[in-house]
Amino acid sequence: MEPALTLRGIRKAFPGVVAVDGVDLDLYPGEIHALVGENGAGKSTLSAIAFGELLPDAGTVTARGTVGLVHQHFELIGRLRVWQNVLLGREPHKGWRIDEAAARAQVLAIAQRNGLPIDPNAFVDTLPIGVQQRVELLRELDRDPAVLLLDEPTAALAPAEIESFFATVVQLAARGTAIMIVTHKLQEVIAYATRVTVMRHGKVVERTLTSATSIDAIARAMVGGEVPPVAARARTELTPRLHVKDLCAGRGATQLNDFFLDVRGGEIVGIAGVEGNGQSTLADALAGLIDYTGIIERSGTMGIIPQDRQREALVMNWSLVENTLLGRQHRKAARRGLELDRVRARVDTAAICERLDVRAANFDVAVRTLSGGNQQKLVVGRALIDEPQFVLAYNPTRGVDVGAAALVQSRLMEARNRGAAVLLISFELDEILALADHVIVMYRGAVLGSFDRDAFDRAAIGRLMAGSA
Amino acid sequence: MNELIVTLFALTLVKATPIIYAALGGVISERSGVINIGLEGMMAAGAFTAVVASFATHSPILGLAAGIGAGALFGYLLAFAATRFKVDQIVAGTGINLICAGGAAYGLVLLFNQPGASVQVASLGSSYWVLVVLAFALAALLQWVLYRTPWGLRIRASGENPSAVVSAGLNPLLLRTYAVILSGALAGLGGAFLSIGELNLYSDGMTAGRGFIALAAVIFGRWHPVGATVACVIFGFFEALQYVLQGQIAWLPANAMQALPYIAALIALAGVTGRVRAPAADGVPF
Repeated sequence: MEPALTLRGIRKAFPGVVAVDGVDLDLYPGEIHALVGENGAGKSTLSAIAFGELLPDAGTVTARGTVGLVHQHFELIGRLRVWQNVLLGREPHKGWRIDEAAARAQVLAIAQRNGLPIDPNAFVDTLPIGVQQRVELLRELDRDPAVLLLDEPTAALAPAEIESFFATVVQLAARGTAIMIVTHKLQEVIAYATRVTVMRHGKVVERTLTSATSIDAIARAMVGGEVPPVAARARTELTPRLHVKDLCAGRGATQLNDFFLDVRGGEIVGIAGVEGNGQSTLADALAGLIDYTGIIERSGTMGIIPQDRQREALVMNWSLVENTLLGRQHRKAARRGLELDRVRARVDTAAICERLDVRAANFDVAVRTLSGGNQQKLVVGRALIDEPQFVLAYNPTRGVDVGAAALVQSRLMEARNRGAAVLLISFELDEILALADHVIVMYRGAVLGSFDRDAFDRAAIGRLMAGSA
Repeated sequence: MNELIVTLFALTLVKATPIIYAALGGVISERSGVINIGLEGMMAAGAFTAVVASFATHSPILGLAAGIGAGALFGYLLAFAATRFKVDQIVAGTGINLICAGGAAYGLVLLFNQPGASVQVASLGSSYWVLVVLAFALAALLQWVLYRTPWGLRIRASGENPSAVVSAGLNPLLLRTYAVILSGALAGLGGAFLSIGELNLYSDGMTAGRGFIALAAVIFGRWHPVGATVACVIFGFFEALQYVLQGQIAWLPANAMQALPYIAALIALAGVTGRVRAPAADGVPF
């Protein structure tokens, strides 16, 4: 069979780094091909080249038919209608005006053919994330692509939405579309892909049939060795640290409604939920950033790992040392007389970099020059350096690779083991299930269910995340 | 009394007209994602160039065309700065305001050998009413174009999320360039109306902040052509009221009367701030 997309000898260098280094790849009609690798392994660069968004320095891309790309961060226009998003640039028209009836019919037809129920007239920003992704997918399908590239397509979806998404993908493949999924969710690779290609440092290090491999084997190939284990869960004394009751805050879709929560020292409480169900409102209320009504009682010191490291945690043009001081500058220990204690700050920076394996040229370079993973590790390290009694961790492993994620998770577990109360808000259900002693499912700003570790039920949690009991 | 009302009504439409042109220019530009703070300067450029062309050719029609062309040229300059060089749009627009105001003042001395005002030139005379009607017709047309045609949809998309426009296989920078050129042309037309429509000369500072009032009208009209036009009529009403009431209320100083449209704009803006939402990518270089 002829491949639908052929990449030969692809090479692409950016200043200071070879992102893709001599990669060959064939995509065949009807296959679901997974492309996996750690952050910076070159998979995003490779898919941008395959899509034609980026020109390679060397090598050839041959496509038989059009290539479509579904972006990780949807390229949608919230204030336009579904049909306007899907047909933008290819609007059916009568004379000078858009033929709206024909446009709606066309979108409905593609939607029905692919089993994607949608209201073509709805405004995109009123739709849940899962449905928005359908719009993104429909836009690509309208161009009848021979090759469809999906970049982290399930990152923002609830488990139920993921299932229905893959049902569509499998159906598309069955009709002859060549599909490549860029992902870091290895269980999806095993469950749905036929072949998997693993990249590391810009090179392909393994290609295999998914039927002939396992999650562990793929993870080992990605890391280039064993994945470090997460620190063990120790037996702890539970002491009350955080008590939240009748909490109302925020407004709109992310409003908190009578939210309640208890986190005790010596445990990790995980908040499971699909992004956009009030998690950030909760974090902002706990951090004291927004007004609220209700009760938040907290004792002891607090360390915060915010959700957006570039916007909320770091000053990108400041050095590692300065960023390490940030938010900790009021402590007595941070000062020497009227000045900040620079020597002490440097010692702290060194300790953080050592504990979290932050790799930087030196402590005085701007954090902007660090990779996203190293920035995140610096933020985590700063939140934990003063051994706070309460840790608020919001997607603490966002954008870090497998090895580094294990390190971050270990440090959180160690904080718990020494008696800290840890509130873990994460969109990665697997991370929550691995770390938490207690899981709370959050949906539309309210508590929809809670589970103790000995009663974790992945399927039940997944259903609650989607809002069905 | 009836006569006064008729005068007030007619004057309102006339005073609203140049602001409507500029505001329609503001709507199309901001809908495409470029804040055109240079409307004021483009109006001045249009007003001055129209006078110069009318002076040279004795044809007010050619003057009008030249005014539109001058506005379009500065529109292209802003588009070029905003798309090719990704310059901060407020800075680029402010630069255009300074260039145009200064350039026209200098041009007065250079061409007419007198500061302050030009000589009198051939004007549109009573046929300026055509431009008053055209302003309202253009508002309706632009509303139709933005909401009913493929090009309008693409312009709106460029102002909301240019990357999505790229995903659709279109070039948002090109769309923005067209929109801003059109914006400048409309502002230039508004300016030409001031100089050779209502009057028959250019005087220094004659735009008198109408470009900024137009920007206020864009916001007050929620970035809709028809909405902005309604706002312009309100501002035009206060400007007309100022003329009609001049000398009627003895205790109110004339300067306070002249401030009426600006005060109206201020109050209007204060009233809608926080309740209206600009296009998502308005003013964001891409």
